Amino acid sequence: MDNNTTRTETSARLSRVAPIVALTAFVAGCAHVPNPSPQDPWESYNRSMYQFNDAFDKALFKPIATGYKQLTPEPARTCIHNIFANMADLWSSVNSFLQGRGHDGVNMLGRVLFNSTMGLGGCIDVASMNGSKRIVNDFGVTLGVWGFEPGPYVVLPFLGSSTVRDGAGIGAMFAAGASSYTPVMAIDNIPLRNTILAVAAVDLRASLLDADDLVDRIALDRYSFIRDAYLQRRNALVKGNQVDPDNPYGTLPDYSDDDDLPDYSDDDEAPADQAAPPASGTAPATQ
Amino acid sequence: MIFSALRNRSTPLYQFCLVLMLSLVLATAAQAQKPVDPTAAPNDFVQTVGNNALEVLRQEPAAQQGDLNRINQLVDKYVLPYVNLEKTTRLAAGRYWRQASAQQQKNLVEAFKGTLIRTYSGALSKVDEVSALQILPFRGDANADDVVVRSSISQRNGPAVGVDYRLEKTPQGWKIYDLNVEGIWLIQNYRNQFAQQINQNGIDGLIDALNRQNR
Repeated sequence: MDNNTTRTETSARLSRVAPIVALTAFVAGCAHVPNPSPQDPWESYNRSMYQFNDAFDKALFKPIATGYKQLTPEPARTCIHNIFANMADLWSSVNSFLQGRGHDGVNMLGRVLFNSTMGLGGCIDVASMNGSKRIVNDFGVTLGVWGFEPGPYVVLPFLGSSTVRDGAGIGAMFAAGASSYTPVMAIDNIPLRNTILAVAAVDLRASLLDADDLVDRIALDRYSFIRDAYLQRRNALVKGNQVDPDNPYGTLPDYSDDDDLPDYSDDDEAPADQAAPPASGTAPATQ
Repeated sequence: MIFSALRNRSTPLYQFCLVLMLSLVLATAAQAQKPVDPTAAPNDFVQTVGNNALEVLRQEPAAQQGDLNRINQLVDKYVLPYVNLEKTTRLAAGRYWRQASAQQQKNLVEAFKGTLIRTYSGALSKVDEVSALQILPFRGDANADDVVVRSSISQRNGPAVGVDYRLEKTPQGWKIYDLNVEGIWLIQNYRNQFAQQINQNGIDGLIDALNRQNR
């Protein structure tokens, strides 16, 4: 009986994904790919989905988030943002433990306990004020630490940047019903629960408004900029803050030219690959 | 006794007091802007440049209100002298750099400068929310020519932001050439965009695209 209920719930959740799959198939038209990147073999589809998301965002999410930012006093916004961030910190802590990074997990758990009590339910980020560092984590990062490769970059409907691995992480957590929103999902009062989820979505979008503006000011091509930033960031999260004593700059990018052309180094400066630390072979290959 | 001596402006005591007061005023002014020593240890160099920039931005009402043009001007004046623009641009262009003529290289550096100023400004635009720039302990070989300085910018209302600087030792001392914000390296993030523009419209097309954004 219990098993049946769980199965129905899971399939109900999956059936909610079905329209999104259909949308994906619909959007997968053809866009011109001027500069194929090895990490983005589905760029043509991805660009179409990116444009869909962007149009949707400009028409709906962004105006709501902008209005919310203008109407809500700053201390209230900060409080709401910190409460959701505190919930995300708890989930980060769980993932740190799953990754075997017990030290991070304990630190993050302490952070959550401190903010939940002294910080009035997470409203005030007293832990950061006392020098505690936030270690961001999710199940996609955990899969990466367990050795799963990111796979191709993929733009998900509404959710945006992801990879096959991170998308699978989101899907698995969605099916299992475990995420940073688990405490909210446990609320029985459905209207209240949905209101909190809506506030969480608006808060998330509002917190990205400044970054969004900055990307507008500095990106030559928003799609490429966001993709490369996402891939770099995820890679850095998987590598974590662990230090390899033999290779202290383990995640430094290697800017040497990686094509087979001979190197006609007539510059008076040394090429970057010689200046880079010796073990930079482990750095991600330049695209 | 002392007061009467002070009232008489020609006494040595009065002159001594005047010099003392003047030097105190100068000392406070100098505290706001420390001279940058590019040949110092990389950590100290970044700390001085960063603190000077933060201090200047804090004292400017326009910058406080988020006036981007003013912040860009201040970044140009207080940060850019310590940034190796040519190297940043060369590495972002990758193998295409060698295909560019000397004039194109010069124009490309000049065109990319605006983007770099806006990027560094973006990191500093929330200065009223920034409480301190903390330089983290140095890792790696202190005698190397290519080093990373890690820092943590603490905010008043949220978690600290990790910012790393990649520096190169030049004959004139240290120069910053790459910047990492929360795991994202600046040059790495422009390589694909540069290649894309060059493949479509050539190097001049890339220069035009950058200049269009500068307007």
